[in-house]
Amino acid sequence: MQTVQPALSAQEEPHIQARGVAVDYTHAGQTNRVLHNIDLSVPRGGFVSLIGPSGCGKSTLLKVLAGLLEPAEGEVRVAGVAPAVAARQRRIGLVFQEATLMPWKNALDNVKLLMEIAYKDRSRDDITQRATEMLRLVGLEKAASKSPSQLSGGMRQRVSVARALAMDPEVLMMDEPFGALDAITREEMSEFLLEIWERTGKTIVFVTHSIDEAVFMSRQVYVMGTNPPRIVEAMPITLPYPRNEDTYAMPGFALASGRLRKLLKEGHGWRAAA
Amino acid sequence: MTLLRQVRHGFASVIPAIALSVVLLVVWELISRISKLPQFVLPSPSAIGTLLFTRQATLAQATWVTAEEILYGFLLSAVVGITIAVTIARFERVGRAVYPLMVLFQNVPKIALAPLFILWFGYDLAPKILLIVVMAFFPVALNMLVGLQAADPNLVTLMRTVGATRTQILLRVQVPHSLPYLMSGIKIAITLSVIGAIVGEFAGASAGLGYVIQFASTQMEAALVFAALIQISLLGMLFYYAIEFIEWKYLRWAPKL
Repeated sequence: MQTVQPALSAQEEPHIQARGVAVDYTHAGQTNRVLHNIDLSVPRGGFVSLIGPSGCGKSTLLKVLAGLLEPAEGEVRVAGVAPAVAARQRRIGLVFQEATLMPWKNALDNVKLLMEIAYKDRSRDDITQRATEMLRLVGLEKAASKSPSQLSGGMRQRVSVARALAMDPEVLMMDEPFGALDAITREEMSEFLLEIWERTGKTIVFVTHSIDEAVFMSRQVYVMGTNPPRIVEAMPITLPYPRNEDTYAMPGFALASGRLRKLLKEGHGWRAAA
Repeated sequence: MTLLRQVRHGFASVIPAIALSVVLLVVWELISRISKLPQFVLPSPSAIGTLLFTRQATLAQATWVTAEEILYGFLLSAVVGITIAVTIARFERVGRAVYPLMVLFQNVPKIALAPLFILWFGYDLAPKILLIVVMAFFPVALNMLVGLQAADPNLVTLMRTVGATRTQILLRVQVPHSLPYLMSGIKIAITLSVIGAIVGEFAGASAGLGYVIQFASTQMEAALVFAALIQISLLGMLFYYAIEFIEWKYLRWAPKL
């Protein structure tokens, strides 16, 4: 397993960059600003988390970065192009809170789905082989013929990650991917995802509302607040990789999560109201 | 679960229903014997049962005619319903035009159309099939449409990000997702098809169980009416469980709706 390089030099262009991004949401004829003045930058091969309470717009921001939502103001670049273009070039892989698998197909066929649509010129064998490889990467080669209902929540989410990785995207954007799992499975999945990240070198943007999860995995955490929805701080996490169960016991871990808690509290306007 | 175990489990679960039926039949038989009502008013279950055997040739022939009407009518309503649902889901504009008309049409009392169909198509198979279709396509179309539109939006998003066309999304995600919904529409449609066939035969026919019922009642043969009713109920049940079997066999992945 390769160890991850230290932070990239400042000159290199960030893999994902947002400048002055604002998002409006119109509902029943009323327009509300759901994100304000977002600046964000993710280096190539970075692991960045967006954390915040419900309603802080972290999922909305992810949608903007993934090219699923047009911002009202500001500029976003993924690999130097607009996110919608990057998405069309299949540079962006998506993983949602639910595994969003097709219950009528087995794990292997679920991994094949997007490839079958996108790779018109590739043979079936080729696609099957690639899907099998991906299942092996996520440790599910033995579950290839199992249907989603026969898999646990964690396994289903692994299939979903395999499906995203099958398209070989540069960036993996994940919207609370472990949010529906129990606490023990969550920690397992965090380690699993770090391993995948270290092995594949993908850039990962990870939306979560779990402080431990954010600190454990990320190289940088964007703390988001409400009233107005914005980024409160970009907080670097300097704990060494590879991170494992011992990481939780490091003093740096406690310090970082303590600081993160404080920032979240400030961002939520809890102090101001008291 | 194996089929055998499923069947055994099924038997165990219908025992209360069978027991209740036996009790009701015994009570009926007693009332019929004690009250001394004439057989043409309230025939006893034993008399009806006997008739089911002695007149089975007549009944079987009628059942065959009605079964054919039900089967063709049902299949055609399924085809019509599915076509409408897929068209509405695939072509938004067509949907906006068709859907309100479909709902409006659903509120027309279909039974009142039967004489019209007889007028247009005579006494044969065609008017019955048509009546069944107008009665039974709606639950198929509506349920399938709900299923098509309830497909996981995130999965649809994923498909779009890799450049899937609307037709690809429809065929690979929406249609499979709608199948359990379709099946619940189909189950309603099959029971409506049975009713449609009988109503169609009432309006004008020279064969079939509906015809037997009408004919027998003019002859004051209440026992034969009941025998035909039993036969038609059994036929309906047979169709219904054939569909449940198909659902069990091919849609095991589906959550129970």
